Amino acid sequence: MRDINAVIEGFGRFGYVADRPLATAIYLLVQLWKPLLIEGHAGVGKTEVAKVLASLLETELIRLQCYDGLDVSSAVYEWNYQKQLLAIKIQEGSDKTVEEKEKHIFGSNFLLKRPLLQSILCEASSPVLLVDEIDRADEAFEAFLLELLSEFQISIPELGTIKAKHRPYVILTSNSTRELSDALKRRCLYHWIDYPSLEKEMEIVRTRLPGIEEDLRSQVVRFIHSVRQISLSKPPGVAETLDLSRSLTLLQKTKLDREAAEETLGSVLKSADDLSKIRAEGIDKVLLRSF
Amino acid sequence: MSSSNLDACDFCGLVRAVVEFCRFVRANGFGSGTKETIDCLQGIRAVRNTDLDSFRFTLRAVLCSSKEEWILFDDLFAAFWGGTEHRRGTQSKKSVVSIFSAHSHGNAKGSPVLFDHSAGSDLEAEGERKTAFGASAVERLKKIDFSQVRQTDMAELERVALRLLRRMSYRVSRRLQSRKRRDFVDLRRTIRQSIGRGGELIELNYKGRKRERARLVILLDVSDSMNLYSFFLLKFAYALGTHSKEVVSFIFSTNIVAVSKELSAQRLSHALEMLSQTTTGWSGGTKIGGSLQEFNRLYAGKLLSRNTVFIILSDGWDTGTPEVLVGELREIKRRISKLIWLNPLLGLEDYEPVTRAMSAARPYIDVFAPAHNLESLLELERHIVTWTSR
Repeated sequence: MRDINAVIEGFGRFGYVADRPLATAIYLLVQLWKPLLIEGHAGVGKTEVAKVLASLLETELIRLQCYDGLDVSSAVYEWNYQKQLLAIKIQEGSDKTVEEKEKHIFGSNFLLKRPLLQSILCEASSPVLLVDEIDRADEAFEAFLLELLSEFQISIPELGTIKAKHRPYVILTSNSTRELSDALKRRCLYHWIDYPSLEKEMEIVRTRLPGIEEDLRSQVVRFIHSVRQISLSKPPGVAETLDLSRSLTLLQKTKLDREAAEETLGSVLKSADDLSKIRAEGIDKVLLRSF
Repeated sequence: MSSSNLDACDFCGLVRAVVEFCRFVRANGFGSGTKETIDCLQGIRAVRNTDLDSFRFTLRAVLCSSKEEWILFDDLFAAFWGGTEHRRGTQSKKSVVSIFSAHSHGNAKGSPVLFDHSAGSDLEAEGERKTAFGASAVERLKKIDFSQVRQTDMAELERVALRLLRRMSYRVSRRLQSRKRRDFVDLRRTIRQSIGRGGELIELNYKGRKRERARLVILLDVSDSMNLYSFFLLKFAYALGTHSKEVVSFIFSTNIVAVSKELSAQRLSHALEMLSQTTTGWSGGTKIGGSLQEFNRLYAGKLLSRNTVFIILSDGWDTGTPEVLVGELREIKRRISKLIWLNPLLGLEDYEPVTRAMSAARPYIDVFAPAHNLESLLELERHIVTWTSR
């Protein structure tokens, strides 16, 4: 990755329209080896950044989806207990010493590698580690992650400390449902992805769905933009724009009129409240506002 | 930054300017430290093309760590580097001053609609704003009485409040969840499961009491006498609501309105905007008894259980009869486990709860606490948590 323009161009090749600020952040992530924290609304392509970066660097993408109650055994490693018990049974008749047996069942064959450990053990090259929706994990896990991000090593009592052969590129995403700890935020580069501008969203649709007609595309994007103006609990993201475009193409609609909008509204709004809200507002009016 | 190859001397000047800029953003509340300054410089070196935008994006990616900072950053940058071309050394000091006026005006505009800001921010006050950050300022703001907040502190206090309260509510909701006690081994399931593995007990199954989550019901007085406090308390309700679905909020003055839906909006400003559109007796008289009666009639059956912590935020000035209030409180108390009454006036040194309503209600209240500043609101965590971990 030579410079920022190369990042923009490279992301473009994989169908991701990266603007200059984002490209700068990605470039810095690669050059400075600092984790990048990306925040933004749902469906604006936060996760996609990591996927495209991995493709661009021709390396592995390792993804850790965070959730409430995520713990070390599902994030880092776990011993394969069933296999261990089986191994103990098999060894029952053998004349190995206890130490030998123990060494055997705590070998790496019996280790289930979860995403964080995988990212450290990567042999070939630096992988991209995506820690998705970090705000969903709890504070204890955040603290653990902090330690990992500074040392890139993991201690397993039975095996000792494992140090990363290749430091992973780390991307964290958050929907900012809660405040992350200052320590973690300070360790990261930061980028906020807002809803794209009209022009940029048009370009995104053009890049992702080259088959769609010019008129329809412009209608869809304008429509979504005016839907975002209404105060909804879950405003549509870029993902929804693409969904709507795909739906309309699939239904062989050539323009987005009232009927078409009614039929495909489910691909734009995902909650009953929002649906009734936009109906109360009048789909006609929203459509009218967008042209 | 117009030349594309920096010679050594240029770079020296740049280093100094960047260091100064980092100090400048820090003085404006950014959490960045020396490490970030170094990262900035490394970043600039890594990003070889040196147009102003790349420069700005680089600094922004390194120095920001939240959306608020992200939004603020461009203003700070423009003020410090003078918009089109960056200036160094003493010259930048000049623009440092201009920024404070620019950015504090922007702030007032962005404040929630519910606050009536009397415009009055002279330069001196802005000078104070500059120092109103950092840990000691947070401590000071935690103790300040909501009714005594200076206009200049308002925006700051709002920010601190929301941050602290969000943290608190997060802790509260965490503690509610982290009680995964495994009481008994469920032998039946364990053995059933072991059949597939030749009768070896590999995984144990457990059974235990079903976890019950506490529900918070918050009733907030928005009548005239509470005017100075109600918006802060509303924020408090909002902050609690963002992290738990088990928070149900109402506002009342002469009648009662459910506002949980409004308060569940993603952004606080949004929530407040929607609330201001609901028609109630904002800043009208108070009928606590009547409002509770209505609550009991409409919502009590659905919301009140042994699991409920009931919070009333009111100063106890009631124009109705105390008998009604007592009757309704008794009714509520019968169904729930804990009744908390938060009274902002308790923060006043010489206040005695002698209003008729207040003294009549006193016997039914489990916790009677002040709610006049942030600290007292944060205290509440203790009561909620002690109850839930019982």
